[in-house]
This record gives sequence, structure tokens and C-alpha cells, in this order.
Amino acid sequence: MLNAPFDLWFPIASSSDLAPRHVFHAQLFGQEYAAWRADDGYVNLWENRCLHRGVRLSIGINDGAELKCQYHGWRYANRTAGCTYIPAHPADAPARTICNNKFPVAEAHGMIWTRPDGRTDAPPPLLSEPLSDDAIVLRPLPVNAPSELAAEVLLTYRFHPEGDNSSAAVTASRVAPFTVSLTSEAGGHTARLTLFVQPVDLGRTIIRGWLSGVTTPAVPLLQAHDAGLQVLRDRCEALARALPRPEATAPVYPPVPAELADLPATARSGGAAALRVTVSRKWPVAQGVMAFELRPLRGILPTSQPGAHIDVTLPNGLVRQYSLVNAPGETAHWVIGVKRETPSGGGSACLHDVVREGDVLAVSAPRNNFPLRQDASMTTFIAGGIGLTPLLAMAQTLHHRGLPFALHAFAASPAHLAFADRIAALRPHSRTHFGRTPDETATDLKDLLAGYAPGRHVYICGPGPMLETARRIAADLGWPDAAVHFEYFKNTTPLDLSSTFEISLARSALTLTVPPGRSILDVLRDNGVEVPSSCGQGACGTCAVALLEGEALHQDVYLNAGDRRANHTILTCVSRAVSPCLVLDV
Amino acid sequence: MIRLYDYELSGNCYKIRLLCGFLGLAYTSVPIEFHPGRAHKGADFLRINPLGQLPVIDDDGFVLRDAQAILTYLAARYDPARTWYPVSDARLLGEVGQWLAFADSITATASAARLHDSFFHDLDVDAARAGAHRLFRILDAHLWFAEQEGRIWLCPAPQPTIADIACFPYVILSEEGGIFLQDYPAIRRWCDRVKRIPGFVPMPGVFPAGPGLPPPLTAGSV
Repeated sequence: MLNAPFDLWFPIASSSDLAPRHVFHAQLFGQEYAAWRADDGYVNLWENRCLHRGVRLSIGINDGAELKCQYHGWRYANRTAGCTYIPAHPADAPARTICNNKFPVAEAHGMIWTRPDGRTDAPPPLLSEPLSDDAIVLRPLPVNAPSELAAEVLLTYRFHPEGDNSSAAVTASRVAPFTVSLTSEAGGHTARLTLFVQPVDLGRTIIRGWLSGVTTPAVPLLQAHDAGLQVLRDRCEALARALPRPEATAPVYPPVPAELADLPATARSGGAAALRVTVSRKWPVAQGVMAFELRPLRGILPTSQPGAHIDVTLPNGLVRQYSLVNAPGETAHWVIGVKRETPSGGGSACLHDVVREGDVLAVSAPRNNFPLRQDASMTTFIAGGIGLTPLLAMAQTLHHRGLPFALHAFAASPAHLAFADRIAALRPHSRTHFGRTPDETATDLKDLLAGYAPGRHVYICGPGPMLETARRIAADLGWPDAAVHFEYFKNTTPLDLSSTFEISLARSALTLTVPPGRSILDVLRDNGVEVPSSCGQGACGTCAVALLEGEALHQDVYLNAGDRRANHTILTCVSRAVSPCLVLDV
Repeated sequence: MIRLYDYELSGNCYKIRLLCGFLGLAYTSVPIEFHPGRAHKGADFLRINPLGQLPVIDDDGFVLRDAQAILTYLAARYDPARTWYPVSDARLLGEVGQWLAFADSITATASAARLHDSFFHDLDVDAARAGAHRLFRILDAHLWFAEQEGRIWLCPAPQPTIADIACFPYVILSEEGGIFLQDYPAIRRWCDRVKRIPGFVPMPGVFPAGPGLPPPLTAGSV
């Protein structure tokens, strides 16, 4: 193995190598990287293999927000490197653990840098000597020779400060590992050349350099240095051919972490507010609706997918769920929209009245129980009021990918329409419907849902009565359950908690009794069995578990009629048993 | 209708398919089984091209062989904008010709290495690969300095020319011959640009590029 100073920053690309919508193929000490710049300017430096089948990501597609693997189309998000979509599983949200290996990255002096030791908290790259602001970056020159040899040969480089062929006084020295500094003086002019030998692997090097103190136009000078360095490159390669051929460096792949390799010993409760975020911006986006921009206190936020929500723990101790409005690639912050409920249960009022910009909130990682299929021939989004938020994230995703969709936002008036700027940016695929009565809304919905064809999907989110109407109309017009996706804000079903029944836990080998007034979830938690949950009222689907035997009394608003008929899933926070015993896959 | 004597996996035939795609020119493909049937060396095909090489076109009885020759003919005849083969600009035309010859050298090296690795031809593959790397170093430096001067195509014109088409296929397919493009970042960026020319068609081993940057929004467009 190499005896290399892994605690240094190494340049691995010129800034100009990371062209828009391009993926650059970099390598250092044998480790290959896919480097790409998102449309927001963020530079991603990832291991150059797709998590799925190991295909090089450097042949993938940079769409400005995500990197798509060329092989099976897995998509990975800007900044987080998390998987956002798996085309072979269009109905499922990819697990949050599917995340490419990232490397520390910095952009300075016109180059992209990384540290082989992986430390992201290290100070930014510094050259061993200061570089003037007018320094120009040379064309990188790959050399088939070890970097040590290249550095030695570069010490013999001779050049004139103005790039002509006359003689000049040149001094050269190794100023740091991998760095050669040369100064040329002639006729009162001084030019300095700082050269870095990037060890691609044991037998290959890329010469990178900066030229400072020059007055002549850049391109002829760059050409002169390019020609001069090519001569040295040929000499290097001739010398290297005489050396024993080094083995190509084998990159070291860390073992798969135990938490990914093993089945989780105990599930972590879903309500865990593991993240701390700062309210970086709070602003009104409609009458009665406040938007909040949340930024991580440190590091980067975990990956979210369109339709995902987070649990927000409020200063008054309440926990509320809010959908993320974010567009693909918008990964530096999260945006949520909060409508002031009247009467408020304490959540929306607290966010509107108490939480200010600069406050720190505890939030959960995003959870996606409302995944978006990206294989539909046409997708219709029907949003009522603040139900717009998850659908806006979805519509922005399809818009970015150029897939067909229509977003219909229903609101009481233009003043009540949240995120009007984002909706406007989706024109002509977005439409607004203002001040419609329930009957008029039903008429609109009949128009929007007319002409079902296989491949069409509809996503509905809004107040309960509108959702019920939309689902009924869709069913009347021949839409199958699997094509109608919905999310309720809350469950208004009157709950019957009077029964007593047994639950048998197939994995935990426990049989427990659920008494009146307690939920399955309560009884599981009382007995030390952790099941993630979020809303606690049968709306979000987080606490769903597989039902192996027994007949359930479904009291949630998450499962559709087909799910209920299949009787394979139960929401443990509100649903109960019709049969004396339920066997759960827990 | 133009008839193209064609082989799906041939980079030289691909050049013609690319130009037809860019020009929106309809043609009929006549498949010739290069491998394993060696139909291009059979008596029937030798009557069409005694050299036994693909591609050949037949444009209403006018029969023409050689990829570069066909590119010049089709562009000169069917490109109304006269940008793909700029016959009215002597210097530019000279540069196009220079890169067409360069494309022949790429065929002699990078394509030969691919024939060795993927079609089991018996030849000196190390020499072929070394020759391709020599050419790619020149091409990469040329494209890097073109970018410095704000040019994105092989020849100094605002639009691509048949020189880009002639050089592209065996560059993008070179990894099938064990010639890796990692050391040629400017070539890799140019390949992305070629793939984004409207009308681009892929072939086996050549993936389409994703969308380029959308044009900047102008006032009033939202």
C-alpha cells in the first residue's frame, strides 16, 4: 500500500472540468470518483460506482439536480447522494440508507480538491505558498509515470516569463510533497509556476499547475507551457518505461457498515427527532399560511423524496407532520408550508406565533408514505388548500424530468393560494381553481378525472370532504384503486376503541392483549416492541405492519379499499381486530 | 430514397446514420452481416464495393463508398444551411478535410483495437491502442484550447461540421477496444455536446446524454 500523506488536500480536477450537466471521471491513489456540479453550483464528489450494480457513475447522466445511473436508472440526489427513485420499483420509496459514498470536496484556486482521509471538518485547501488572484490554471497533463518521478523531472523545466524562447533565470524547488515551485525572471518580468503532481495511481500522474505574474494574453502563454510540459512528459514516460511496472493501486473499499449488513436489532421509534435545524427564513406565502425554510445546524440534510414529510417537534412539546415542498436537487434546505388552523390544536398557532427566524427546531428525518410513481403516461395532481405541499414537490419532480403531468390547485381565492411562484413556474402544466363551491368542485373534478386510461395516475391531497368526493368520482369514472393516490391531513373517522382482543407477534414470539381504550401501538410499546409511528391518528401510514392472520377493523384513512380487501396490512395506531386474535409480522 | 448498406455495430456506418439524423434525411438501411457472416467480403457485396468495406450508399443510382466521402456528399447535397460541409469558406473547408483525415487515423487505431477485442480480429492490439492514445492526446489538447477560445466544435465555426461526426463514433466506442477516455476530459465534454445536437441517434454502446442546461429565462417568459 502507498505510504502517502492522506491528510493533505489534493486537486483532482480543474473547476472548468465540471461543465454544466457533465460528469467528470477523477482518480486519486487508485480511488475513482464521479464529480459533478449541480445547477445550483454544488460540487458532488462520489465514489465512481452505482450502489446497485457497480456501474461507473461517470457514464451516468447529470440532469442538474440528480445523477442517474446509466444501467438501471437509479437516481441519486444532489448534495445528499441519497437514492430518490428506483424505476424497477415505481410504487415504492427507496430506503433512506441507499446513499452513495461521498468524499470531502472543496473548490479553491480554480480547482476541485479532496482529502483521501475523508475528513470533512479539515480546514480548506491551502497551497504551500500563496497564489496571486490573477493566477491562471494550466491545462492538466496526464502522464504515464509515478508522481515522484514526474516531480523530479519537473524540476528541470525551463521557461521564459513571457513565453518566448529566449533565456531566463529559472529557480525550481520542491516546496511541499507533490508540489514544485518555479520562478522565471527575464527583462524585469517575473512569472511563477506552481505545479502539483496528482498521483492517479502508482504509475500514473496528472500535472496540474497555476501560472502567476504574467502580462501577455493567456492563451498563447498556456500553449507555450503546454508544449514545454509535453516535452517533459515524454521524458518522464521514457524514464518510467525503464522502471519496473508498478501495480495499479487497488482502491480500499470500507466494509459495509454493520447497521446495513445486519437486520436491525431493534427498530428505532419513528418519532425520533434526530435532527436539529435552524429556521433560516419564515415568510407568509398566502393568507393564513407561513412558509419555513429549515437549514441543518451542521452537515447536510438527509435525502428526501417527493411526497415525504417530516415530524416537527415544537417548542410547546407538540409534534406535527409537514410535507416538504422541495424540488429535485433543492437539497441545501427544506421548505414546509404551515396553515394556521382555526381552532388550532396548538401546533400551527405555535409555528405562526412563537417560532421565529433563527430558532432551532428538532425534526425527524423525512419519511415517504406517499411515494410518486415516475412511470405514468399522465399524472394528475389535485390539491385542495394546503394539501398542495406534497403535490407541489411531486409536480416539480415530473416537470424537471419532462414527464407529462397537470397540477390543479384549488384555493378559496388568489390570496389563499400558497407558493404561487412555484405554481407559476410550472405553467402551462399548472392550473388554479378559485372560490369553487363544493358542487362546482365536484363538477371540476369530474372534468379532470374523465377518460381514465391505463397508465394514468392521480394524486389527491386536501381537506377530507374534497378527498372523499374526489375518490368517489374517480371510482365512478372507472379509476382502479391502484391509480388513485391520496393523503389525508387528519383522520376524522370516529374511532371505536371499545374491543378487547389478542395480538400474536410472529417475530417477537409474544402474545399480548389489547384492552379497551388502548391501541395496538400502545400495547407494543408498553412491552418494549418498537414500531415507528408519526401522526398517531391513522393518516400517515408510518406505523403500518404486515398482518399475517386475523381480520382487522380498519379505522384509518391511509389504506385504500384494495388494501383493506387484501387484509395484509394494519395501521397499529388506530385499527383493531374483528377476529379474536391478530397475528402480526412484528 | 437513399439506400445505406449498413451494419448496426459499425462506427463508420453510424457516421452516416448520425448525419441523416441531424439533417432529418430519410434512408433505407440494407443490413450487411459484417460479423460473423463476413457478408462484406462476399461476392454479392464485392460487386457493390470491390474494397469489401462498409458503408456504401446508393442515392438513386449514384453509388458511393467510404464514410468520409459519403458525409461530404450528403452534407453538400442535402444540408440547405451549408453548415455541416461549409463549401463557401476555404479555410474552414480545409480544416474539415484535415479532421476527416484524422478520423481515418482514428479508424486505423481505435477501431482496430475494438475489432480485436469485440470482433476477434487478429492484429497488434497494443500498437493500435498506443496509436489511439497518441491521437486522443492531440484531440484532447485541441478541444481544450478551443474551449479556452469559446469554441465547442472541432473546427472554428459556430455550428458542428461533418468533422465532428467523422471523429465521434470511434472515440465514443473506444472503451470497447480497451482505450479509456478518463485521461481526456475535453474529449468527454465534446462527446456530451455531440450527443446533444438535435436529431442525435444512439447506437449499441453509445448512450444518449441527458438534457443540457435550459436556456436562461428572459423577462416576461414566466
